[in-house]
Amino acid sequence: VNAPRGGVGGGNDFQWCFSQVKGAIDEDVAEADIISTVEFNCSGELLATGDKGGRVVIFQREQESKNRLLSRGEYNVYSTFQSHEPEFDYLKSLEIEEKINKIRWLPQQNAAHFLLSANDKTIKLWKISERDKRAEGYNLKDEDGRLRDQFRITTLRVPVLMPMDLMVEASPRRIFANAHTYHINSISVNSDYETYLSADDLRINLWHLEITDRSFNIVDIKPANMEELTEVITAAECHPHQCNVFVYSSSKGTIRLCDTRAAALCDRHSKFFEEPEDPSSRSFFSEIISSISDVKFSHSGRYMMTRDYLSVKVWDLNMENRPVETYQVHEYLRSKLCSLYENDCIFDKFECCWNGSDSAIMTGSYNNFFRMFDRNTRRDITLEASRENSKPRAMLKPRKVCTGGKRKKDEISVDSLDFNKKILHTAWHPKENVIAVAATNNLYIFQDKIN
Amino acid sequence: MVAKGQKRKLHREDEGGGSAWESQLQSVLDISMDKFHRDQALVEPCLLRSVLINNTLRQVQSEVRAQVESLSAVKIPTKSKPEADFPRLSPPAEHNTPLFSLNAENMDDDFMAWTSEEDFSLSSAISSILKDLDTAIDAGQGPCASQRAPLSSVENLTPYPLRTERTSDLASSVKTELMCPGCPQDVALDKLLLDIDTAVFEPEVNLLQGFSVTADDLVKYLPSLSKSPSASSSSSLVSHAQATWEIQEIEHVMDILMRTYPQS
Repeated sequence: VNAPRGGVGGGNDFQWCFSQVKGAIDEDVAEADIISTVEFNCSGELLATGDKGGRVVIFQREQESKNRLLSRGEYNVYSTFQSHEPEFDYLKSLEIEEKINKIRWLPQQNAAHFLLSANDKTIKLWKISERDKRAEGYNLKDEDGRLRDQFRITTLRVPVLMPMDLMVEASPRRIFANAHTYHINSISVNSDYETYLSADDLRINLWHLEITDRSFNIVDIKPANMEELTEVITAAECHPHQCNVFVYSSSKGTIRLCDTRAAALCDRHSKFFEEPEDPSSRSFFSEIISSISDVKFSHSGRYMMTRDYLSVKVWDLNMENRPVETYQVHEYLRSKLCSLYENDCIFDKFECCWNGSDSAIMTGSYNNFFRMFDRNTRRDITLEASRENSKPRAMLKPRKVCTGGKRKKDEISVDSLDFNKKILHTAWHPKENVIAVAATNNLYIFQDKIN
Repeated sequence: MVAKGQKRKLHREDEGGGSAWESQLQSVLDISMDKFHRDQALVEPCLLRSVLINNTLRQVQSEVRAQVESLSAVKIPTKSKPEADFPRLSPPAEHNTPLFSLNAENMDDDFMAWTSEEDFSLSSAISSILKDLDTAIDAGQGPCASQRAPLSSVENLTPYPLRTERTSDLASSVKTELMCPGCPQDVALDKLLLDIDTAVFEPEVNLLQGFSVTADDLVKYLPSLSKSPSASSSSSLVSHAQATWEIQEIEHVMDILMRTYPQS
């Protein structure tokens, strides 16, 4: 991979600056406001967030004005809608959470925007369209909609389209329901733009975007006897270019690549990625921390990245026996695993993302820290999403965690980290160096200083 | 209510450098069991979390087993048990899985039997956990089932209805078990004990909602053998066949208790 020229990179090549923060400032965070997913659309013009309350908020980037040279366009609220409502499964006496687990945008094909949003059980296709004109001069009804008295109609006129204030409407176009017994953890749009996959703990289904009443089950790892269950599916994604290829990760730290051309049921993988365990670091928690919480293909389609509890690994799809790169996110937590097991933090599912050119990767950590790694220079940086650094265009200062010995000024010791402030969801603009970081109920947007 | 004994470390003669490992083992075990119990109380526990916790428990189990196996190579005197109260029993014929009958003469075998019982109880506990999860979660597909052959709704149904009841009436629980041949020990062990260390290291009797069970108590709770008016079934009109059946019932209960709590 050639090192790209220009400013496209990561780590210390950049000067990340605060741009915006969205969300309430209150110390008391309402559970429903906790952001559960963040996703840029394919052009980067729109940024969608989903929250635990089942709402979707879409931000749109304003057009760059020539006068404001120091920063790129800001993101403002474009549309807000309730995607999922809490449901009750009467048959099993279970409540189905409205929390949005994933949002994925469809590539734009006309003036409207389409996205898929999923909670634990149901996926919905939403159409977001603009309306900035309305017809005036109807024959049969008044301007306020009341029907006109027919005897009063003496002339016939053609309604005229008049401009109106921009209205953004979100309407559900498809509802894909009743195909998942277990909780949906991933959705991924295929490169054919006609199909998509959805994955739960034990199964993966392939859908056609037009057909809601049936789906194809392509992976099923449920054992005949549930007593033998020792591994679940944790994430899945379609290859960005090859519409017959997808991958899924497991709770045992393995990734399977499957080819839908090989068989209708992809229970047998084409490739199996697993790094051999280092016997010197084996502990009771080895399996838990090896569980993969996210898998993402690179934009090029040649690599994929996996996130487990302590590290991010980059895999070459042509090499199954080990990753080509491993980045430690917060290795200082390795000695604290027992406490993190006790307080359930060890089960936190961190996501990861690539930048547009695949030269840098980003993932979150605790204390509202997030980490970026430059794959070319091998430099890394730790930054913090906090209101204290939220002056417009203020440059972010690198943070450092003190792992032992004397704590330097501006360093923070491991024991002082706030494990309730976790950055689980981050997104990188597909083309520019703009990142969105979800910190509980706040969404931070950072940009690099324009050179 | 969860029957829980006091947490104690295994008293070994050679502590050596294993105490750090032991203390971590103890912590992991305690935390895992606590999480397991909490998740049991939930209507729909997270499957990923349950699988990871169960795997951790299995790992602890295998570590304990490995440790015990290395210890059993060294003859360790076990505590003496007054076993005169309980008759020597052989396992009832309808049980499918091998049971370990206790032999008072050979202490070492008993020690192995303890841990094997504990293993057995743990693995059966884990099995029943996963079975429970499945019946709770997967009661069948909805109308939009995928193209693959739909899951049969009877798959993995547990045969016994009283999964989560903790009954103080041992007799009725035994009756339930005997209604489902082939899996009674799961229910009994599941109800009686899920705490590994108390079984392995120093059994503590904590059944039946908090009071210890002696042989006399046990007899008191069994129907038709009790002379007190609180006996649930009529004792005076019992037929010879029923008496035989009830004696087998008692033997079965004794056997389970012996294996779980060798000294009471």
